[in-house]
This record gives sequence, structure tokens and C-alpha cells, in this order.
Amino acid sequence: MLGFVLRRGFGMLISLLLVLTITFVLMQLIPGDPASVLLGANATPEQIADLKTTWGLDRPISTQFFYYLTNFLRGDLGQSLYYNQPVLGMLAARAETSLLLGALSLLVVVGIGIPAGIVAAVRRNSWTDRSLLLVALAGASIPSFWLGLMLMDLVAGILGWLPSSGYTSVLRTGNLGNLKNLVLPALALGFVNAALVARTARSSMLDVLQVDYITTARAKGLRESRVVVRHGLRNAAIPVVTVVSFVFASLVSGAVVTETVFSLPGIGSLIVESVLKRDYPVIQGVMLVVAALYVILNFLTDVAYAVLDPRIRAR
Amino acid sequence: MHLRRSSKRNHAKGVPSFVPSSRETVGSSTGWRRGAREVWIFVTQRNTTLFACLILLALVVIVLIGPAVSPYDPNALAVSDRLHPPSSRHLFGTDNFGRDVLSRVLYGTRTTLLLALAISVFTLVFGVPVGVLCGYSDLAGTIGMRIVDAIMAFPAIMLALSLMAVFGKPGMQNVILAVGIVWVPRMVRVVYSATLSIRETTYVEAARAFGCSPLRIVIRHIVINLVSPVIVQVTFTFAFSVMEVAALGFLGVGLPPHVASWGGMMNEGRMYITRASWIIFFPGLFLAFSVLSFNLIGDALRDRLDPRLRRSV
Repeated sequence: MLGFVLRRGFGMLISLLLVLTITFVLMQLIPGDPASVLLGANATPEQIADLKTTWGLDRPISTQFFYYLTNFLRGDLGQSLYYNQPVLGMLAARAETSLLLGALSLLVVVGIGIPAGIVAAVRRNSWTDRSLLLVALAGASIPSFWLGLMLMDLVAGILGWLPSSGYTSVLRTGNLGNLKNLVLPALALGFVNAALVARTARSSMLDVLQVDYITTARAKGLRESRVVVRHGLRNAAIPVVTVVSFVFASLVSGAVVTETVFSLPGIGSLIVESVLKRDYPVIQGVMLVVAALYVILNFLTDVAYAVLDPRIRAR
Repeated sequence: MHLRRSSKRNHAKGVPSFVPSSRETVGSSTGWRRGAREVWIFVTQRNTTLFACLILLALVVIVLIGPAVSPYDPNALAVSDRLHPPSSRHLFGTDNFGRDVLSRVLYGTRTTLLLALAISVFTLVFGVPVGVLCGYSDLAGTIGMRIVDAIMAFPAIMLALSLMAVFGKPGMQNVILAVGIVWVPRMVRVVYSATLSIRETTYVEAARAFGCSPLRIVIRHIVINLVSPVIVQVTFTFAFSVMEVAALGFLGVGLPPHVASWGGMMNEGRMYITRASWIIFFPGLFLAFSVLSFNLIGDALRDRLDPRLRRSV
């Protein structure tokens, strides 16, 4: 087990290094002199020279990369050009919204996707099954930002049930009522991914429901609900859990547009704002943190599988 | 035609064909007819595939003749007509500048689908050679797959957005490049794993034993058998590209404002969502239907060409 963790851990470190390299290279691709691009058109030559010295831009590229690497390890992701604040602090300030939105969306994904998949599998080929499949298929093709805008128009605009946009921190104000602002975004973001989970849950349940121990469970006179939940669902869970972990990446991607639609102050909308303002250090910082998190989560998932299933360790 | 040719190849080499052989015994009709018949059977086999192909046909027609039949100039401003709800004069209503939404949707169909086509070609041209190289050479494979994994650690839309920021200006070429770079690694991965399994087959071993050069093995024996998985992947790439191009447009970094595109229209209509939802409803509807049709066709192609392939997320 230790060998497996070390092997995977080494792989993770290489991936992290590559992710760092990619974000570094990306910023090298900006056409023109980086210092003058970063400082804008009104910068004086002294300012440009000053920035070059502080960032080591006048050094060879390998030295620049070394600076970048050591700064990252010290937790220094650079300064925003627009707000003149450290990027890491900006990320931290926006993390609450994104994490809450992610958690609520995941709730929607699991809460709608898994039950829908089970019902469809249990009533296979029935009218319910077909309509659920159709909704799932449509769900997988609807862009989340369009769904978000339509929900905003219907639920917030016409019906007036929920607030349409914006969000104020629950942690800072202590007002749990603010969570209402996240309901529509979570629905828009979650529904699209719930479709994927529902399809997986259905096919996984269908496979399991044909196995002998299900017949045995029925034969010994168990209630159908018990057969499905205790014997079926537990064994169908593994592929579903895998898909749910995939959904995480999809939620992060979806959050970029959903947060913009609903004007939520999250990490997704931060990168959009930075792209529109050409605030390169912030773009670089957000990309780096999100990709690094993804690499680390992947590693943890691998380890969790190895703990659950000893056969994986041998690979 | 692809289906027929690839299956014939596979048969000649004595490997199990991806295509059921019962379809190939259709009498003495000519090759062209048999190909057309194959396609017809594929299209009409499932109701959903038929539905998807009809949508695709409609979209192709719009791309070809949309500008000719669109009732107004997509950029003609008519301030007195602004935010008009759908009516007989403007079937899809008008936007905040009084431009006809239907005309803009028709022009936008052309822009978005042609962009997605260009992106798919881009991933094909760069993804297939790199994938084959990685699959054929162990060293290239080890290095290449590490890089592919690292690129795929960045969420698709974030990477495309940052690339647009790096490239500087909005525009067709930059959109193709940004979204293409995001999807090439996914194509590389599919081609890589297919190449790995083809590399181990008996017929490749036999070709090597005969003294065929690596280049000949790759072109004559490997690439020809990659057709099925690549076709399936291209279909999904197309669907995702349509979505991604629209998302970039929606975020305001895709195309310049004067070019009518679905994403751009939704971006401009955002401010008026509660007053004039039709500005967003119609382009979104077209977007959803085209993505749906490509997903359905992709699913059907995958089941038909290679049931072992499973859609990677």
C-alpha cells in the first residue's frame, strides 16, 4: 500500500510540475514585452524597468521559471494589476461562494440524478423510464448558462419566488437567508450534471438487478424496496461514485459561466473578469490553483480506490 | 462510405469487424449503393438517430442557404423597433438595437457551426498524428500522456478563456486556436489508447515480421483501423465545440460584437432577460438542439462502430 501511495504521489508531483510549467508558458505566449503589457500603455520606462527587476524578467527564462516555482511554494501567486492586491487573497475572498455553489449543485446532482436513475432502472422500458431518459438526454445537451437565464426569467422574474442574482457572504453577515440566492444557480448547474449521473446510475442498476443474489433476495421474500436499496444500490454505487467525482471537474467548469450569469462573486466569475480586464497574474493564479486542486483530488481518489479495492494496488 | 471501407479492411485482415457482417451480404449491388444502404439503415434504425439526423439536415440547410432566406440584414439597426416581442413581422422578435432575432439566429448558425467544423478539423489534424506517435513509441507515449493529463487538469472553459486572453483579440482564428488546443489532448488520448491495442494485434506483428517499415505499418495497418474511434470522437468534439464557442461568446471573449453568433446574442440579451427573454430563448434553443443532435449521432455511431468504446468524460 505504501509503495502504491509513493508511486502515485511521485506521479502527482510530476503532474503538478507540468501544470506549473503550462501556466508559466501560457504567460510567455502573451505577445510583446510582458512588463509593458502588464503595466498598460501609460507606464513610464522606469516603471517597466523596475517591474522587470522585481519579477526577474531581465533574467534568462530558466531563472524566471525558478523564481516562479519558489514563489508558488511560498504561497505567492503575484499581485493583481487591476486591484493591486495579492492574487491568493482575492482567491480566498471568493472561495466561499464557489464552494457553497459547488456543494449545493452536488446536492442537486446526487438528489435528482441517483433517484431518477434508480426509478428508471426499476421500471425499465416503462413510460416513466423513457421520459426520464429523454429528460436526461435533453439535460446533457442544454447549456447551463441558457438554463440559468431561463430559470432567472421564470422563477425570479415572472413568479418572483427567488432572488435573481448577486450574493452576500453568509460567513460575514451570518444571514442564512442569503443562501436563497444560490438556489437557482445550483439548480441550473446541477441539473445538467444530474443528467449524466442519472444515465450512469440507471445502467449500473440495470446490470446489478440481473445478478443472482438479487433473485435470491427476492426469493427469500424481501420487500422490493429492500431488495433495490440494500442489495441493488450498494453494489451499483461504485460506477456512480466514479461519475460523481468526474462531475466535480464539470461543476468547476460550469461555475465559470453560471457565476457570471447570476453575478455571483466566485472564483469562476473572477477569472472571467480578469480575462476581460487582461489582469494576467490573476488569470495565471486561478488557473494554477484550480488545476493543482484537480491533480491533488485525482491522487486522493486513486488512493481511496486502492483502500477500497486491493486489486487496484497491484497495478 | 467510411463505414463500408473500414469494415472491409478489417475483414480482409481477419480481425473482428466493428460493423456487423450481416449488413455486408446485401447482394450484388454496387459499392456506392451498398454504402448508401448502410447509411440509410444506420439513420433509420432508431427513432432518436432519425430525429437527430433530421435536425442535422435542417442545420446544414440553414448554414447553406440561411443568409439567402433570412428576412432582414442581421446588423440592420431599427431603434424604433427595439425589444419587439415575436410577431408576424419579426417571428423571433427584435433585440435591444431593433435587429431581427431570426435573421441573427440564422447567420449565427452558420458562424457557430463553421467554427465548430474548423475546430474539429484542427483536433483531427493535430490530435491523430500525435496520438499515433504516442501509441506507437513507448517513450513518446510516456512523455506525451503526462503532458496530455496535465493539460486536461485545467477545466476546458477556463483554459479556452485564458488562451483567448493570451491571444489578445477576439476573432474567428483565435477561437479556433483556443478551443482547438483544449480539445486536441482529448483526441490524442482516444487515438493513443486505440493505437496501443491495434499495435498488439497479430496482423501488425505479422507486418513487422514481413519487414514492413514502421511508417508503412502506421499508415497501412494502424491509421486505417483508427477510423471508427476517431469518427466517434470527432462527433463529440463537434458537440462540445459548439457549446464551448457559444460559452466563449456568452462570456464576451469569442467573436467581435458585429459578427452574429448564438453566444454573442445571449451575451447582449442578458441585460434584458426579464423584459425580452426571446433574445436569449431562440439562440439557446438552436444551440441545445444542435448539441442534442450531435450527442445522439455520436452515441449511435459509437454503438454501431465500436460498442467497446465508452464516452470519456
